Amino acid sequence: MSEGAVAQREVALVDLVDRLLGGGVVIAGEITLAVADVDLVHVSLRALVSSVDTAQRKRSPGTDESP
Amino acid sequence: MIELVAIAEGTLAPEAPVRAVPFDGLAVLCAPAAEGEADAETLWRREALLEALMEQGTLLPVRYGTVVADEAAAVEAVSEHRDAFARALAWVRGAVELSVRAVGPAEAAPEAARVHATLAVLARDAVRLGGDEQLNGAYLVERGAVDDFVAAVGRLQREHRALSILCTGPWPPYSFTEAG
Repeated sequence: MSEGAVAQREVALVDLVDRLLGGGVVIAGEITLAVADVDLVHVSLRALVSSVDTAQRKRSPGTDESP
Repeated sequence: MIELVAIAEGTLAPEAPVRAVPFDGLAVLCAPAAEGEADAETLWRREALLEALMEQGTLLPVRYGTVVADEAAAVEAVSEHRDAFARALAWVRGAVELSVRAVGPAEAAPEAARVHATLAVLARDAVRLGGDEQLNGAYLVERGAVDDFVAAVGRLQREHRALSILCTGPWPPYSFTEAG
């Protein structure tokens, strides 16, 4: 799998986590499943999205940032 | 304990271990509650299950981790909202959700707003979700219009170089569970 495809799957995981844990029908009921690990994944992938942004700006013309 | 997976049209017939529990013309799809902590693989399995169920009929995903004691409790939990669920199911029928995020510098916010406005025209419904990005949008798109929508995202990326635009999907209608 190419580096780009890996990044895409990880970005998709951010969308999946947002949707499964933050979307969907909310029903008043007992919610018992533990999702602590997922929160950590979420935070690290937020960082990945930020790094995509940085990479884009580094490639754009007219900037002289060192790699 | 059982987990509520989705609200669906009454005709949907899932395979075991998922069960369709009927209530007033609709069905609440239930599965044995998972044990242990969820991780990324658990969530992808849920996504795959929902996508397979969507091939059979229209559904509204339920928030992950919604657990009740038994099927009677499941019906009791969903029955009072039956009419709202029926309206939402009609609203999402034949459509899927696409996610579009745009990241970029703060001064690109007006561009992100234009990207959202352009994409919203191509969608049956659209919503801006919260987040750190310049745009975190969800779009309810007719199944037959997904390719056109993705092509439009590509054009918008070429027009708005200050933004890095990321599109994922199709997703079940997680962000459109209330009729617009």
